[in-house]
Amino acid sequence: MDIHQTFSGGIFSESIEGGRASAQIQLTREGITATANSGEQFLLPYRECKIEIGGASDRMVFCRNADRSLTIYCEERAFSKTLADASMGLLDQQIKQRQLLQRKEIWSGRGWLVAFLAGSVLLLVVGYYGVRAAGQAAARALPISVDKQIGDLAYKHIDVGGPEVHDPVVKEAIQKMVDRLAPHAAIKGLKFDVHVFQSPMVNAFALPGGKIVVFTGLIEKAESPEQVAGVLGHEMAHATLRHGLERFGQSLGMATAVTLLIGNTEGVIAAGAQLFQLASVNSYGREQESAADAEGVRMLNAAGIDPSGLPKFFETLKHEEGDIPDAMAWISTHPQHEDRIKALEKLISSLPACVPVPLELDWSDIQKRVGKDVSKK
Amino acid sequence: MQAEIVNKPSFANIVVRLSAGDKFIAEAGAMTSMSTSVQIDTKWSGGFFRAILKRVLGGESMFINVFSTATEGELRLTQPLPGDIDCLELNGNTMYLQPGAFIACEPGVKLGLSWAGWRMLIAREGLFRLKVSGTGRVWFGAYGGIFQREIDSEYIVDSGHLVAYEPTVKVRVALAGGIISSFFSGEGLVTKLNGPGRIYMQSRSFDGLAAWTNAHLY
Repeated sequence: MDIHQTFSGGIFSESIEGGRASAQIQLTREGITATANSGEQFLLPYRECKIEIGGASDRMVFCRNADRSLTIYCEERAFSKTLADASMGLLDQQIKQRQLLQRKEIWSGRGWLVAFLAGSVLLLVVGYYGVRAAGQAAARALPISVDKQIGDLAYKHIDVGGPEVHDPVVKEAIQKMVDRLAPHAAIKGLKFDVHVFQSPMVNAFALPGGKIVVFTGLIEKAESPEQVAGVLGHEMAHATLRHGLERFGQSLGMATAVTLLIGNTEGVIAAGAQLFQLASVNSYGREQESAADAEGVRMLNAAGIDPSGLPKFFETLKHEEGDIPDAMAWISTHPQHEDRIKALEKLISSLPACVPVPLELDWSDIQKRVGKDVSKK
Repeated sequence: MQAEIVNKPSFANIVVRLSAGDKFIAEAGAMTSMSTSVQIDTKWSGGFFRAILKRVLGGESMFINVFSTATEGELRLTQPLPGDIDCLELNGNTMYLQPGAFIACEPGVKLGLSWAGWRMLIAREGLFRLKVSGTGRVWFGAYGGIFQREIDSEYIVDSGHLVAYEPTVKVRVALAGGIISSFFSGEGLVTKLNGPGRIYMQSRSFDGLAAWTNAHLY
């Protein structure tokens, strides 16, 4: 140790103009000697010295006298060690205590930081799932008539593209499928109402409350009535599982919950209808799609309609995809069909065996009818 | 070189009269008007990487403008916020400025970045602070008025109000009171400062304005 070492630091003293000055510090036999830039010298004897550690860097050493009228400070790393040595053990204990205190503070600070970060993450996660769950629970608590009101209102404003098909043969064919599926719906009291529209889009969708829209493109593309029934089963399942409201509940979350708490469903219905105008044709969540698949094939099986129609329809679309991508709306809103075909086949094999009763329809006649302009009564 | 702060305190700005050979360094975008005899030389603030660090971490501009003149000229500088501007005289000592406070300095002043600690992130005070050292004058700005205080022991400043402080001052983030009162007193987190040393504060906080504006938007 070189006790003649000079350290850079500073002084606080009322006797200096402005109260402070930069200084050169030496640790002499008498005590801590600081020479201000002006040349003025200050001496702080070791036995009068009170040590504090802090400053903006958390490692500045302050040496202060009892009445704090003189403070000599230094930030150099070697200072505290040299000071302990130079004071012949007088300041040893104080320095060690202060350093320990400092370290403790730093660790407790880190502890708080970790706790803060962990708390923030937890709050985000809990908040996200909480809002989702609250929204879903609130949506489920609504009477089914709300679904119907939302569906009817949305239906009025949806632009489906083509004119409605009124050909009784076509309408009856679709109605027949729905009539066979309806008694096996997961909830009672839902009246399914099917509308067929002239459009090349290979698509069908269900609105909350049981309104189902089928495009003629789907009928033309399907190779058998069972395939259309498969799609209908899937879409009806969205309605019976109340996926629309669930999704709506998620997107509005707390707003829904609060509106329901104060018992005003009108706002919910209006907002829901608006949402479905925008999003009716696309995007249920992947979980909801899988759930609708499972419920759809269950309904088909229970109704005695061959449930393999649905995976077969996927296959049909898969082969044709790319030829007319724009017309493949249904598949485009139902992604990952490769995996879904497999999942569906697995599901179907696990269903209780039943002998399917074919849908007795002249399918090629129906396809011919929708191929023509049948929009006029 | 002569420099004067005018229109104090609300809309303070700096008038600088440069003589031949004088140089004046200012934050990019601080100049409001100048004589045609004054030249601007734009530089990375302390080199390319340091400049980027200063921008990203220190809330300062990536560029600094060096103003000089071969004859003489006048230059006027300002800050984006309505508020006061103050001048610090460095004489080999160091000061820390909160992000965004720096406006201008004389060529003898060194501008550096210093790590402020993770806790400052929570208090939204910025992870880094600008470290000014060397010899010369430094001008810094604030939102609202600037007031200073000599502190010796612990002192509390609401977050967002601290502007500058000496390196002898320890800055910590703490709750204003207990957890409940911190939440409902509207004070939330505060900075606890430990002296000895001088601190500069601003009488308004920009976060406060932002929150107030936000509450009145809809």
